[in-house]
Amino acid sequence: MASSLNKPELIVNGKRLDGRSFGELRPLKIEANVLKNAQGSAYLEWGNNRVLAAVYGPKEAMPKHTADPTKAVIKCRYSMAPFSGLGEHGRSGPNRRAIEISKVTKEVFENVIFLNEFPGSEIDIFIEILQSDGGTRAAGITAAAVALANAGIKMKDLVYAVSAGRIGEHVVLDVNMIEDNYSDADMPMAISPKSNEILLLQMDGGLDKKQLKEGMDMVIDAGKTISKVQRDALKAIYESR
Amino acid sequence: MRQFITPGEELPKEAKRNEYVAVYNGKAYSNIMGFYDTERKDIVPLEGMWKPRIGDSVIGVVERPTRAGIYNVMLTEFAQGLIITSKFDSGPSFAANDIIEATVADVERKRLAILERPRKLALGQTIYVKPVRIPRIIGKSETMVNQISRLTGSRIIIGRNGIIWLNGGDVALAIEAIKTVEREAHTSGLTERIKGMLEAEAGIKNG
Repeated sequence: MASSLNKPELIVNGKRLDGRSFGELRPLKIEANVLKNAQGSAYLEWGNNRVLAAVYGPKEAMPKHTADPTKAVIKCRYSMAPFSGLGEHGRSGPNRRAIEISKVTKEVFENVIFLNEFPGSEIDIFIEILQSDGGTRAAGITAAAVALANAGIKMKDLVYAVSAGRIGEHVVLDVNMIEDNYSDADMPMAISPKSNEILLLQMDGGLDKKQLKEGMDMVIDAGKTISKVQRDALKAIYESR
Repeated sequence: MRQFITPGEELPKEAKRNEYVAVYNGKAYSNIMGFYDTERKDIVPLEGMWKPRIGDSVIGVVERPTRAGIYNVMLTEFAQGLIITSKFDSGPSFAANDIIEATVADVERKRLAILERPRKLALGQTIYVKPVRIPRIIGKSETMVNQISRLTGSRIIIGRNGIIWLNGGDVALAIEAIKTVEREAHTSGLTERIKGMLEAEAGIKNG
């Protein structure tokens, strides 16, 4: 596992291990409306990540004591399939990490969905990681935003998420699993592109002020590409028919 | 001209302010995925849910008769209906699983619709379509639904909550036509295409 003793060389000849430059995203592909039973759904491929997101609701909140008479409640479940990855990440069932990611994802969407439009109801968001390669919480949020739009739930914005990181003195974008394990910092961010408001900011490791600014700029710059892929995925539903 | 929009996308200044438009920093943004119609300056939502509005006619299923004269009605996953009849006069009485047509008289807390003029729909078939497609299925001054009804000989009653009741005539063909409208609601020239489809089917059967 990650230790400084067997740390691989993460940057060779100015390129990262998978041949990307510092500010380059992994190839991203999204398909919307893939599940018939769900109100909205999306399948995402981001590098080696494979994510399925499904949205149900708004429907009557069950059990009833969870309902809020003034607004809708969001229930989010992030889960990794038991076969999704190497090592301990791929444990099945809710664990400490999955509960944490479910919570932060829920809080991201609480800020963009018009909750007071649906009092007393619940909106279910399911994020299933089928294959993981680092940055799955960002991938999950990006997929869930498309699924929510596909479900026709009123939202202020189509959120995207991506992570920035630091390898030595280089700030890099969209860290993958091996970079995540051995890098010096990892910072997933979720952004509302309309106003560039930050909805999620977590950090593992350390960045100085200048590096943090550089990482944020990289994320916002990459957001234009991600937003376009999200939009095209939604548009494709209606072009194919 | 129709332009595809997603939540958070900026709309032209002259866009109509309605429930699908949010104003932020003096600019109008869309709340929902849909098309922006540049002529009508309005958003046509592609997905979404129905929220009870006074005057909407709806079709629902009686869930359980509660206290004498009060009935819970299932309208959608989100919205509930309630029929209150006086227990002293011999008003209409319903049993569980009856399908009824009614009009929304009042809305409480955005999801409880008080229904009036309930009427039991006997026999027939019900289908569910996306509520945002209902205006297209009805058509401009009811042209679409009248056309389907005329060419298939079915009686069709449409509930704004997405439930459609059909009876008589060629119900299977009418359902096929309605499902086609639901699927292709965003395309142009739909009324003509549906007419062609129904006439071709009728031609096969008669000839």
